[in-house]
This record gives sequence, C-alpha cells and structure tokens, in this order.
Amino acid sequence: MTAIRVIVNGAEVIDNVAPRTSLGDWLREGRNLTGTHLACEHGVCGACTVLVDGEPIRACLMLAAAGEGSEVRTIEGFDADPLMMALRDAFHRRHALQCGFCTSGMLITAWDLIRRGKASSAAEIRRGLAGNICRCTGYTNIVAAIAEAATAAEGVGDGE
Amino acid sequence: MANDAGGAAAGIGASLLRREDERHLLGRGSFVPDIKLPGTMEVAFVRSPHAHARIRGIAKPAGGERRVFTAADLPRLRPIRVETQAPGAKSPPWPPLATDKVRYVGEAIAACLAPTRAEAEDLAAQITVDYEPLAAVVDAPRDMQGSRHPVHEGWSDNLFSERVFAGGDIEAAARAAEITVRREYRMNRQSGAPLEGRAVLAYRDWRLDEIVIHASTQTPHTLRVAIGEILGIDLRRLRVVAPDVGGGFGPKARLYPEEIILAALALELDQPLRWVEDRTEHLLTAAHSRDHHYQVTAYASRDGRILGIDAEIVVDAGAYGLWPQGPYQEAAMAARCLPGPYAIANYRCRALTVATNKTPMGPYRGVGRPGACFAIERTIDEVARAAGRDPVEVRMLNIVRPEQMPFTSIGGMRFDNGNYPESLRLCAELLDLPGLRSRQRRGEPDGRVIGIGFAVFAEQTAHGAAEFVARGAAIVPGFESCTARILPDGSLVLMVGIQSHGQGLETALSQIAHHELGIDPARIAVRHGDTETSAFGFGTFASRSMVMSGGAVARASRALRDKLNRIGAHLLQCDVAAVRCRDGAVRGPQGSVSIAEIAKVAHLRMDGLPPGVDPLLEAVATYEPAVGTGVFSYATHGAVVAVDPETGFVELLDFAVAEDCGTMINPMLVEGQIRGGVVQGIGTALYEEIPYDEAGQPLAGTLADYLMPGAAEMPAIKIGHLHTPAAATEYGMKGMGEGGAVGPPAAIANAVRDALSALGAEVNETPITPRRVLAAIEQARFRVGGPTG
Amino acid sequence: MKAAAFDYVRPRNVAAAVDLLAADKGQAQLLAGGQSLLPLLNLRLASPARLIDISRLPELAMTDEDDATVTLGAGVTHAMIEDRRVPDPSQGLMPHVALGLAYRAVRNRGTLGGSLALADPAAEWPAVLAALEAEIGVVGPNGRRRLSGTNFATGIYATRLAEDEIVTALRIPKLSRAARWGYAKLARKAGAFADALAVAVADPRRGYGRVVLGAANGPPLVMTEAGRALAGTRRDPEQLRRAVETDLDSAADRRFDAYQRRLHRAAAMRAIVQVIQ
Ligand SMILES: Cc1cc2nc3c(=O)[nH]c(=O)nc-3n(C[C@H](O)[C@H](O)[C@H](O)COP(=O)(O)OP(=O)(O)OC[C@H]3O[C@@H](n4cnc5c(N)ncnc54)[C@H](O)[C@@H]3O)c2cc1C
Ligand code: FES
Ligand code: FES
Repeated sequence: MTAIRVIVNGAEVIDNVAPRTSLGDWLREGRNLTGTHLACEHGVCGACTVLVDGEPIRACLMLAAAGEGSEVRTIEGFDADPLMMALRDAFHRRHALQCGFCTSGMLITAWDLIRRGKASSAAEIRRGLAGNICRCTGYTNIVAAIAEAATAAEGVGDGE
Repeated sequence: MANDAGGAAAGIGASLLRREDERHLLGRGSFVPDIKLPGTMEVAFVRSPHAHARIRGIAKPAGGERRVFTAADLPRLRPIRVETQAPGAKSPPWPPLATDKVRYVGEAIAACLAPTRAEAEDLAAQITVDYEPLAAVVDAPRDMQGSRHPVHEGWSDNLFSERVFAGGDIEAAARAAEITVRREYRMNRQSGAPLEGRAVLAYRDWRLDEIVIHASTQTPHTLRVAIGEILGIDLRRLRVVAPDVGGGFGPKARLYPEEIILAALALELDQPLRWVEDRTEHLLTAAHSRDHHYQVTAYASRDGRILGIDAEIVVDAGAYGLWPQGPYQEAAMAARCLPGPYAIANYRCRALTVATNKTPMGPYRGVGRPGACFAIERTIDEVARAAGRDPVEVRMLNIVRPEQMPFTSIGGMRFDNGNYPESLRLCAELLDLPGLRSRQRRGEPDGRVIGIGFAVFAEQTAHGAAEFVARGAAIVPGFESCTARILPDGSLVLMVGIQSHGQGLETALSQIAHHELGIDPARIAVRHGDTETSAFGFGTFASRSMVMSGGAVARASRALRDKLNRIGAHLLQCDVAAVRCRDGAVRGPQGSVSIAEIAKVAHLRMDGLPPGVDPLLEAVATYEPAVGTGVFSYATHGAVVAVDPETGFVELLDFAVAEDCGTMINPMLVEGQIRGGVVQGIGTALYEEIPYDEAGQPLAGTLADYLMPGAAEMPAIKIGHLHTPAAATEYGMKGMGEGGAVGPPAAIANAVRDALSALGAEVNETPITPRRVLAAIEQARFRVGGPTG
Repeated sequence: MKAAAFDYVRPRNVAAAVDLLAADKGQAQLLAGGQSLLPLLNLRLASPARLIDISRLPELAMTDEDDATVTLGAGVTHAMIEDRRVPDPSQGLMPHVALGLAYRAVRNRGTLGGSLALADPAAEWPAVLAALEAEIGVVGPNGRRRLSGTNFATGIYATRLAEDEIVTALRIPKLSRAARWGYAKLARKAGAFADALAVAVADPRRGYGRVVLGAANGPPLVMTEAGRALAGTRRDPEQLRRAVETDLDSAADRRFDAYQRRLHRAAAMRAIVQVIQ
C-alpha cells in the first residue's frame, strides 16, 4: 500500500492505496465520487476525464499513488463554478445529453476548452471533443451547447 | 396550483426540457457500478481464448476453490434455451457457464470472486483450463451447409434456420427484364457499444426473502421471467432493477449468462456480488450485430422500373441464440425489408441464419433493417446507373405513393400512411442537391471528389402481438402497462414497464399525463425499470416505448380522470357530465376543486367521497395499438462525401434526414434520437468493425481498434419533418427510435459510389474504410483499362 | 480490466531512479506520463513487478536554449509543446504536431521521453525528431551518453536504449527562420494513431533536407533520396516524386502492401509540397 495525500474537490484526503489502483477507481470506489465514469480504461473514450492540478487528464490512465500532493477536481467539485453552471444550463436547454454516461467527461473537457479559448467555432469545438465519445447524441447538440456557453463566457464564438 | 410548465409548453408537441438531465449534469446519476453495498465481492470471468474447443478439465488454484465457480459448482444453472415456433428452426442449449465445450472466444467458463476486481482478475489468471482445440467455423456463406466440426453436436449443417420469402412471379420478372443488376453486399460484424457496458449487482435480501438484481438492462421484467425459469425459483423471490443505464441500443435487451450466474451465486453466497463488464469483455461478449451477406439480382425495365428482386441473405449469427427471440429475427426481418418502400411486384428471397464460432448475434438499433436498406438502396443506384438516370428519379419512379396507402409491400410490410416521395424531395432540398451537382461539376480545389447519395426506408415500429406471433416468437411483446397513482397531495406517480436509458421517457410520458390530467409535469414522477414498482411490461426496444407505454399512460390517466371527475362533481355538487378536468383541477359550472383537494378526500377524508366510489386514486392500464403489424415511420437520408482518390479517405461533408414519425410528443427528443441514430449509422458505414481471423479470433478488442464515430469527423445533422399522424395509435404517434441508424450506410455508400462514378468504382461492404475504397478504385481500373490502365 | 499488482516507488532524482532500475533489472519499468504504459497495464499486456515513477523529477522537466539548439527534458509533455510553454527549435513544427497527437487529456500527461522510449511505430515524435536530427541524452549505471535521434528506434517498440538506461533530454538543432517544414498525418480519426505520417524539413541556409516517414512498419524511415532532393536549390515536384518512389522501392524490408505504399507516398508528397510551395 502507498500512502497518499490528495486534495479532492477542495478537501484534503489522506489514504492508503494499492499501487495498482487507478485514480478513477480510487475516486469511484474509495471516495464514492461516482460521477467519474469508466467506459474503456484505455484512454480512448474520455468518460473518466477529471482535472488534476487544473488540467484535464484521463483518470483511468493515472495511478492514484501518482496523485500524491496533487489537487483533483471531479464533476462533483464544480457545483459553484460559474462556467460549469453555464455549461450545465446550455447542455440542458440544448438537449446535449441522453443516457448521461459521457456527460461528466464532456462537461469537464468543454470547461477546459472554453477556459483555454479553444471553443471559438464549431469546428474547433469538434476537434477539442475528439477524445470524448458520446454514443447517444450524435454530437450536434453538444457542440451547440458548448458554443453557447463559450459565447456567454467570453462574448465571442459562433455556433453551428 | 403552480403550473410553471404552462399548458402548451408542456403538453403534446412541446419540446419540454428533460427532467433526467439534472442528475447527470451534476454527476449524480446512479448507474449499476455506482451502487455500493458493504461486503460486495467482485466477479471476474475466466473466458475461452479459443473459438472452438473441447474442455478436458479445469484446475482451480490451491486455496481458491471456494472463490471459483464452474458449471459443476452451480448445478442450479440450467441452459438458456430459446423456444421458437418458427418452422424448421434449430435452438441449441447454451449453458451459462461452459460445460464440455466452448464455441466462441470469450465464452464464460468460470466465475472468480474477490474483494476487488483486480484481485478477481488475479484469481482468474491462475485457473488452468485444458482445451482440445477444434477447427472453428468462421465463414458463414462457406460453412453453412456443413463443416468438419459443426458448431453444435448432432447438427449435419450449421444452419439455425432457413426460410424462403416469395411473392409474385420472379421468373416472369426475369424474362421481362431489360436491365439486370447483380451485386453482392456485405455489412460486417460490429458491436452495439453503448458507452456504459453491461453490469450486474446481485444480493439476497433476507427480510423480503428475495434476490435483488441490479442490471444494466433494457428489459427488467422479462429478465426476471427468464432468470426465474432458469434457476427454478418463484418470481416473487426475484426483483430486477435497471437503474440509470448508460445506453442500450438493443444489446441490452437480451438475457446474458452473466446475469443468470450472478443471480445463482447470490442464492449460494451470503454476500452481494458485482460484475462490471469492461470494454474488452464488451467487444468480445456483448451481443454482436449485423454480419449480413447479400446476393441481390434486380430486374428492371429500361427506364428503371423495378420488376423483381431475387436475393439470398446469409446472416452470421454466431454460436448461440440469445433469449428471448433467438438468432432468427435478423435474417427474417432483412428479408421482409429488402423490397424497401417500393412498389415491387415480384420477389424471392432465401434467408439463412448460420451458426458460427463467433459471439452470439443480438439486436442493435435497426436490427435487420440497415443491412436490407444498404442492399436495396445500393441496388437502386446501380439500376439507375444502368438506366442512365439520376438515382433520385429512379427512386421516385418506384416508390410507394401516398394514394396507394395503406400499401402492403411484397415483403409483407403493411405501410399505414405517409408521403414517401415527399421525404425524398425534402431531403434533396435540405442538402441543396442542384447546388451540389454544380459544385461537383466544378471539381474540388484539393483534388478530392464529392458525391451525393440517398437512402429511403420505412421503419416498422410499435408492432404488437400480430407481428411477433407471425415471427414465431416465444415471447410476444404486444403491450405495455402503466400504473398511475395520485398521492394524497395531488402529485402523480406513473409506474411503467419500459426502461428509459437516454430516450427521455421520464419527460415524454409526463407530458402525456399532463395532457390528460393537466397536472404540472414538475409534480409528476415516472418510475421505470423496476419489477417491484410497476406492473409487468416488456421494456424498451423495437421503437415501441413511446407508442406503447405512452398509450398505457394515456389510458391510465384517463381512468384516473374519470374518477377525479366523479369525486370532483360530488364535491362541487353538480352532475359529473358538467365537469371538466383541466389545469390541475376539476371545473364545474360554478367553481372548481383542485386535484390536490380531491386527492386528499380520496385518501385522508373518505367521508367526502360520493357513495359507491372507493378510496384511492390509482389505475392500472395496458395498451396495445389498434393494428398489430406496426405503424410505419419513414425517412430519406442524404449524405454528401468527399473522397480522396489518392488515399481512399472519406470525409462526410453533410448529412440530412427528412422524416415522418407521425405526431411528435416532444420534437426535441425526436431530433435527439434521430441524430444519435444517424451517427451510429455513420459508425456502421465508415468505422465500426470486429473482424475475425481464420481461427475465429476477434481482432478488435479495444477502442483503439474498434473505431467509434467522434465529434471531429461528424457533420451537424440536418433534419426536416413531415407530419402524418398514425390512425392506429394514441395521438397519432409512431415509433422512431431506430430509424436514424438505418439509412446512413446506404446513403453514404451511394455517395461514395457517386463520387467515384468517373472511376467506375463502388464499395459494397461496410465499413467503407480507406483500404476498401482504394481496393475498389484499383479493381475498377483493372476492369476498365487492364492492370496498367 | 485492471492491472496486475506491482510495487510503486517514486525516486527523488534521476540518479536514484537509475539505481532502482539497475537493481531491479528486467523487473522494474519506468513510469512517465503513463499514457502508453497504463493502457498496457490495464489490459495486462505488461506486468512489471515494480514501477519507478519519474513523472515529476525536476531534472527531466528542465529546458535549455542556446544559439543553435534547444534542449528539452524527457519529462516535457505534449501539452507543454502544444502551448509553447517550452522553447520551440522547429519554427512551429513541434507545436503543430503536438496539437494532432492524441487528445488534450492525454497530452497533459504524455511525455517526449516516454514516446521516444516506447518507440511505437505510429508515434509522431520519433519521426519528427529524426527529421530534426535531434540528439538523445540518456543516463545509466555507466554514466551518460548521447545517441542520434535518427536511428534511436531500431524496430517496432525497440530502441538503442539499454534496459537500465533512462532518456533524460533531447537536444534539438534550431531551424533557421528561412527553414520550411511540411507535415502530413493520415489517421482515420482526429487524435488517433497515424496510418501514415510524413515529416519534411528543408533549411536552405544549412543545405539541410530531410523527409521521414512514420507508421512505416518499423522505426522512422528516413527517405534519403527525397531528403537530398529537398536540400537542393532547384526543387522540381516531378523529381521529388521520383525520389519518393525510389525511397519506397528501397524500403523493401518494410513489406508495405499496395495500400500502405499508396498512403506513404501520399503523405510524403503532401509534406514535401508544403515545403516547396
Ligand atoms: C488514446 C490515446 C491516443 C494516443 N495517440 C497517440 C498518437 O496519436 N501519437 C502518439 O505518438 N502517441 C499517442 N499516444 C501515446 C502518448 O503519446 C504517450 O504519451 C506516449 O507514447 C508515451 O509517453 P508517456 O510519458 O505517457 O510514457 P509512459 O506510458 O509512462 O511510458 C511508455 C514507455 O516508455 C518508458 N519510459 C518512459 N519514460 C522514459 C524515459 N524517460 N526513459 C526511458 N524509458 C522511459 C516506460 O517505461 C514505458 O515502457 C496515445 C495515447 C492514448 C492513451
Ligand atoms: S475510461 Fe478513461 S478514457 Fe475511457
Ligand atoms: S449521452 Fe449517452 S454517451 Fe453521451
């Protein structure tokens, strides 16, 4: 077992983890943060996307042990974030989710795209979502929702 | 009562925003793997690495004996067996854990239990199975009449079933033909690949003396029936719950060995058990789909009028039949859909369902239709080419016209109504066909060639008993149910037998109840996916839930409304004929009484009830559409592609759908279903494939090999609507869940063909990979100008 | 899909990592970004007894720059290159490549060093660094040495790196302002591994020309004829096309089938055309 100290959604957590435990499994099984979904566990689908030290990463491709000393933010840690609120609102109004399994990863990826100013056109948003698979929606509404939230956030960008 | 959703904004036809969204947006959905029970043991399976082998022995590791379960350890496990009434069909037994033989790579052999999944996998890795490998059956057309080691003992061939569908006089059509077009088509094997895989959590509830099974399934009630039957226990002792389900699309509408095994283990052990399918297991063992092979001959007149279709369809169904419907429906449905939405008089089709040493085949959005649509629509384009006419014109020439409705196709489909030619015209308009044609003539600056292709189809939806009986089905999912209950405060709970896993049925069904009762949708709860809370129902598949469950909700709501009116009239002291239930209240000539007040009387103040009226506000209703053969949605799909003749890469530039699904309860949800379906169809057309090698090894085990459509490659999908309400259903609804996935392979293949027309190349196999495109170009060059041409 | 058990250690510096690696020869594996290793572990295609986490060693994150070269630590991530958070020796080639490599969440952790050490034939960096004639600094129990980036990879997942060595840094010659580059990645999906990959670089001031193919059934394939033609002053597309054919002919050991050959030819020509246009 490896001892870790991690800030999870703003609160410090001290735990012992089996070295092989992925950050995704630890968040879900150890911290009961089940909003982080696992759909491939080999880095392709993006359902497990969380922020580590402010940057999106694949929770299935990082060891919990390697998270020592970092700050982790999961979908449950955005409840008071204005940009995330705008995104959630746009996803709701634009019908950008169906089964909801991809949604956490989509929202966090979208949040990062907007924050980095990489959501200025539909084409740019689509490229930015290349690593997040949605099996249900066909993407059109997701792209529209992100474009809308980006416009609201920065007063720039055009939709589809 | 506050009614912030407002009348028109929440009722039928309103794009009411989804009540399902909030929990998922907050990351607080509840999928099976999210449910935590103390002491849960995780399950990992030992699975066959061979496509076909005898099992000579299984050795458990020392110390692991009581955590490893084989068939011998679970005598309760009886084989899965599909009963079919289809004549001549064979139905082999399928032991949930393999006994003496394995018949596909991935077949479960032993269940291993440990506190974590990783440890369960460690345990599974320590089990040694002694195999005697046998030659695998992998090529359905080649091996269907027999092979050295047939897939099943005692079979002389490898046929699950063989049927001939015929109408008219195909020989006469052949004699009369001025144009004959022959083609072979192939739609390769793929996965349904919902983003969430399968998952099961099973435990014993001692207090209620029952086994509770949480499963990521589309069909909780029928799952309970099957598990009860196979394990030989009373259904009263089984509860199946499908909580949030991360996509289904058909593969989750079947019974799987893992569900039975976990239930059996829960009976044996005093611990909750959980199995969460990983992606590799999903690609290996969840139902595969498509794998259709077609040989089509079309006979036509010089101007392109189709006189007859002669065809053979071979479906590679894998090793076993999945309960309840077995492997048979795929080929039969394809055979019946092959004549398409066209007025064709002569037809003959031999439909064969073949057993191979591959993963069992199950339904996936569209089932037999995408393959049939691909075959007929590609053929129509070739007929048009042979006739020297535009494919749109030739479609117009052959398509069923509105004045012919209702029209029974030569495939035996009874199209109820609609304007099929108009959908074709509208789709061409959405894409700006004339503009594209002139762009095509101008040529692309980057050397690519563009092409436009169409596909028209009609989709049988919400079929009832008549259809399933005709199919020889063992289970006849001809109805749905709803229990509607108004609680003492006037809020409403609808308990339904379907399962909503993305379709938004929690929202749409509340709209129907709102329409009937005027109760604010915010005060309506929809409970589904739980055998404990609702009356029996079949679940969500076959584009049926909105029509069937919506119908049941309408009927239950009306029964409640009658009772509300009687109590309301009594309270208002007027005649029941004088009151109307509207906007959350029963209104009489003078004054009104709110549903909340009536509900209070019906529960807490029964002294206020009229004589002869029982307390409680509860109604159970079932619904079956007036026509058992289904109501038909229809659509034209149009695709615009750019093909790079140098590399074979295909880019989808535009995609449009012009469709008619009758009355739309919630247009936003309808469009969501269409777009999602279309992108799945694009996956079939361009990306998704599970190839097998000669030894029966599947070659796509991760999402790095199994490509799923991503946002970057997809266009924004355009949609146009036509509105022809069905006569046979509530409100004129038609089902529409699957259609999106039906047309894209055909439309895209036709667009690729159009783009490559100058080169004379065509791709008649999906997915249309760069390799296949280049091979087709190479072949065309060889045909036209010889090897150096 | 969970990894088999292993030990996990996080050494404090490169020297300690080298010691650990040497002590556990054959049993231990370095963990950098984990973006290739973790999938292999999860799928149980790799099961080392011990992982030595070098992902946060400051020495591997350092960068340096002089007039002629840029040095990037092995721990520099794809995202740092994409965002130009590290100096760019390549007149924009490397940031451009990074942008199309995998996905942002992968780029945030995946490293240059991991990519080079893994030597996935379809990976971008081995081909790009061969085209830039980078030098690869490694350290092992016997001290430091420098290897040529051009032939660092020797095969599919095979390099000149010894089992107990660590890639520490890459020294990359700067392209001049007058240099031009071309880059073509043919992949079926954005961010996916390439089916064909070509990098072309010409720096007339140095008389430098390089064309390198990736995803070429082996280590990066340096197209010598095409490179020579590109270095010249009179660059005629027809002549370059012939040079590409010659190079493909002489790569018989790669066993390209007709489809692959077509793809490689297309990728090479597209990269070259970007340079000469
Ligand atoms: C979905 C997905 C898509 C991807 N697409 C692409 C793509 O298109 N192109 C591409 O090039 N890559 C792609 N990658 C791989 C990615 O670029 C990896 O980051 C990279 O290949 C490895 O870097 P790493 O730091 O993650 O190495 P790790 O995964 O940590 O290690 C990889 C190997 O290198 C060894 N190693 C690591 N660092 C060193 C060192 N300093 N010295 C010696 N040995 C070392 C490790 O022991 C291990 O064997 C993709 C990955 C994923 C998950
Ligand atoms: S679960 Fe991590 S990328 Fe798919
Ligand atoms: S909403 Fe189901 S996967 Fe995206």
